[in-house]
Amino acid sequence: MDISSDEADDWFMESLHIYRDLHVFQLEHPTKVIEWTGEKSICVADYSSARNEILELLLPLKLYAGGNKGLCPERDFKLQHGGFCDEPVECLRHIFGKRCVVTSGQYSSKLQVWDIGEGDSDIIKRTGVINPKCPSDKGRKIASGVTDGASVLHGSRINDVQQTELVSGRVLYAVGTDSLDAVSGLQFVNSSTFVVCANNGTLYVGDTRDPRMKHYVLHGSMSGSHWVFALRKDQPHSDPAACTVARLSSFGQVLVSDLRNLCSPVRQAQLNLQQNMATCDFLNVTWAPVLDSCLAVSGFDGKVHIFDTTSWSTVSQTPQPVFVHRGHDLSHEAKTDGTLLVVTTHVWHPWRPRTLLSAASDGSIHVWDWVDKNFEHF
Amino acid sequence: MPDIKVTPLGAGQDVGRSCILVSIGGKNIMLDCGMHMGYNDDRRFPDFSYITQNGRLTDYLDCVIISHFHLDHCGALPYMSEMVGYDGPIYMTHPTKAICPILLEDFRKITVDKKGETNFFTSQMIKDCMKKVVPLNLHQTVQVRADKRSFLNLCYLKYKTAAWIDKCRPDILITESTYATTIRDSKRCRERDFLKKVHESIERGGKVLIPVFALGRAQELCILLETFWERMNLKAPIYFSTGLTEKANHYYKLFITWTNQKIRKTFVQRNMFEFKHIKAFDRSYADNPGPMVVFATPGMLHAGQSLQIFKKWAGNEKNMVIMPGYCVQGTVGHKILNGQKKLEMEGRATLEVKLQVEYMSFSAHADAKGIMQLIRMAEPHNILLVHGEAKKMAFLKDKIEQEFNISCYMPANGETTTVTTNPSVPVDISLNLLKREMALGGPLPDPKRPRTMHGTLIMKDNSLRLVSPEQALKELGLSEHQLRFTCRVHLQDPHSDTDTLSRIYSHLKSVLKGYAVQHLPDSTVMVESIVLKVSSSAEEPDLKVVLLSWCFQDEELGSFLSTLLKKGLPSAL
Repeated sequence: MDISSDEADDWFMESLHIYRDLHVFQLEHPTKVIEWTGEKSICVADYSSARNEILELLLPLKLYAGGNKGLCPERDFKLQHGGFCDEPVECLRHIFGKRCVVTSGQYSSKLQVWDIGEGDSDIIKRTGVINPKCPSDKGRKIASGVTDGASVLHGSRINDVQQTELVSGRVLYAVGTDSLDAVSGLQFVNSSTFVVCANNGTLYVGDTRDPRMKHYVLHGSMSGSHWVFALRKDQPHSDPAACTVARLSSFGQVLVSDLRNLCSPVRQAQLNLQQNMATCDFLNVTWAPVLDSCLAVSGFDGKVHIFDTTSWSTVSQTPQPVFVHRGHDLSHEAKTDGTLLVVTTHVWHPWRPRTLLSAASDGSIHVWDWVDKNFEHF
Repeated sequence: MPDIKVTPLGAGQDVGRSCILVSIGGKNIMLDCGMHMGYNDDRRFPDFSYITQNGRLTDYLDCVIISHFHLDHCGALPYMSEMVGYDGPIYMTHPTKAICPILLEDFRKITVDKKGETNFFTSQMIKDCMKKVVPLNLHQTVQVRADKRSFLNLCYLKYKTAAWIDKCRPDILITESTYATTIRDSKRCRERDFLKKVHESIERGGKVLIPVFALGRAQELCILLETFWERMNLKAPIYFSTGLTEKANHYYKLFITWTNQKIRKTFVQRNMFEFKHIKAFDRSYADNPGPMVVFATPGMLHAGQSLQIFKKWAGNEKNMVIMPGYCVQGTVGHKILNGQKKLEMEGRATLEVKLQVEYMSFSAHADAKGIMQLIRMAEPHNILLVHGEAKKMAFLKDKIEQEFNISCYMPANGETTTVTTNPSVPVDISLNLLKREMALGGPLPDPKRPRTMHGTLIMKDNSLRLVSPEQALKELGLSEHQLRFTCRVHLQDPHSDTDTLSRIYSHLKSVLKGYAVQHLPDSTVMVESIVLKVSSSAEEPDLKVVLLSWCFQDEELGSFLSTLLKKGLPSAL
């Protein structure tokens, strides 16, 4: 797509009104992971170059200056720590309460444990490897345990999902099912309850005290596409009663369900989004941590789409997004070498209600705070 | 092997007093001479005692090169040249030469007048220092004190994109590590913020003051505002103080090659200051009601028009001041950027600062991606990182070493890094000489060994040529002196002189295969250019005297022949 400079200018002018804050950066290599490692820092990782760098970046301080924002000129990312991975990074998770991340790669089924340099050194050092104790596909999905003892829940197919303690490498838990469904994502609800979503949209709810899992298959009419999920919970340790699950398909369907009743969705929608990409690799749906009932969707194209699900019902309709971030397509820095640009990942800021970070296949990474037209305030 | 030695004199752990000493080919060069803005005592200057403990630096330094006009890179220059003492050349680009004295004078005024310091350089010292400056153009090469090294490729690294650097393949690339660990927000986003702030103020009826330096960013911001005003159909006036326009036009003509495309295009199409929405400022306008934007000098609000306007507008919270860069300690700019709400003015009057203060940095430094691109394009053999702690640069060092397979050094202040280089000096060789030297043959015993080549190196202007001696003599209009050696070898031989000569001929012909051995009718034998004659005296007809004569070029062969003949002739002949 060729951006005319007029279109880019138009978006630039528009951006003065539709964003409170906007920062546009260019990484050397694109990332498909953005993971919060601290209140002001994120980890990103290369998936395309020979060296596959893992970087911990400090967010622009201007975002945190509060009342003194005007006096803070710092609007750049600062590289805090860096390391090299021997394979392109598929999944990267920060371990709850520790200065440590775990990655999986595209060439193998192993997980690698990394120490993000303490104090003096700026090196991200590999401190361990976890080899799953069973046959596994490459690029395992990972979720951090939520207790003090550092652990990860990981899997490539439902039957190889297990929980491993980081320090000892001990397998704390393994599922007792022989389902071969491929895992698209997993997450802990509290210290023992967890949810796994399969590529075909089936949800599994398990408990680390019991190898059996309950599973919830999708309606026949919804099968045939690739699904990802997002869990909304208010704290690291939540009561399942307070949790909501959203599932997104590569055809643009969204199902919102109560974790207590995954058989029947409470809301659903057919989004007006077509997947341009041959790969479902970048499909991503997330719940806003502060705003009620808001979710963000990306991976279809070069945009991030934000929806308010409050008005959705059990009858599927096609809602309009409350905001669309078009910066990756339209900023002056956007690359136009003929390949289709796609947003590879996005995350919400933990406490700023409308701030998101998004990354795209051209190496761009944006930090943006959008204005809700319904509540206009500066 | 020639080494290059690099010693930072003042990069230290924080920003400031950039000063790097380079010893190359027996010459000493000082790169930058900056001031550390955080100190008020001698620590703000680089430590020159490393060069010499006492006295002037002139004898120890061959030249000084200043990269750009920021005070942390040139602030100590007048101190070094006039108070410590240095009379050699100081190289910098034309724009730097134009701006340096202005910044230095401003800085001096603030430090002496406002802060009351006494041990500081004077206005005259700044002028005397600038007299030693030799301004250069981009990519210009200069011979430093008749040394052949083309060292100065003044590529204005901080301010240009990597596209401007050609593959100069330096032995060492020196870069500040602070840039390499930053990922910069796009220029467009900075501009966006600027427009947003200005617009917000104007919308609520406020006045916006933008203190600027005489040129540079001011012009770009003007174009930005003009476009924005046009687009949004805004009516509020934008003023540009006239002091700026005159100076700026003058500087602009000087710098037109240094600026970016947009400004150049605009400048060419029309006079910079014939904007539709931007007008010249008059002092009285500051009291006009309603919103407006004013660009005024000086940039740090330390004197003059910008300070006057500031005093008038500071009390109203609807107004705004946008500071576009770093302000020196002691200035009003510095104080308000530190959040000060009450300022003490002349005559004990206090000024309440109620207007909104915005700090927007527009200076364009390179960042991580930029540095890597630069290294990729320039292809240095080694990299030196300054301005950072070694422990905090370990990742960067690894990254550079892995990606480019070159060494990365991080010396501390006063620590010397020695880099061994392998310089290649390209020399043109004349075709004739090459052909001749490649021809087969030569003195025994081993034609396969690397042999000395005879030629003449002519060094003229910047070229080095290797030609044959005859050609060199011809070019220089000199006549050649022939040097011939003669030696006599005594042989016992009962034959006649003529026969002895024939025997010598046969002998040499069998030994010297591949050489031109001739028996000439004038009773001489010639081997290459060596002449042999046989004679004897009447008293002793059997004692033959073999006369050998050769020219300097055939010395080796000649010596060989004389040694051979001294051994006598084989009886089989």
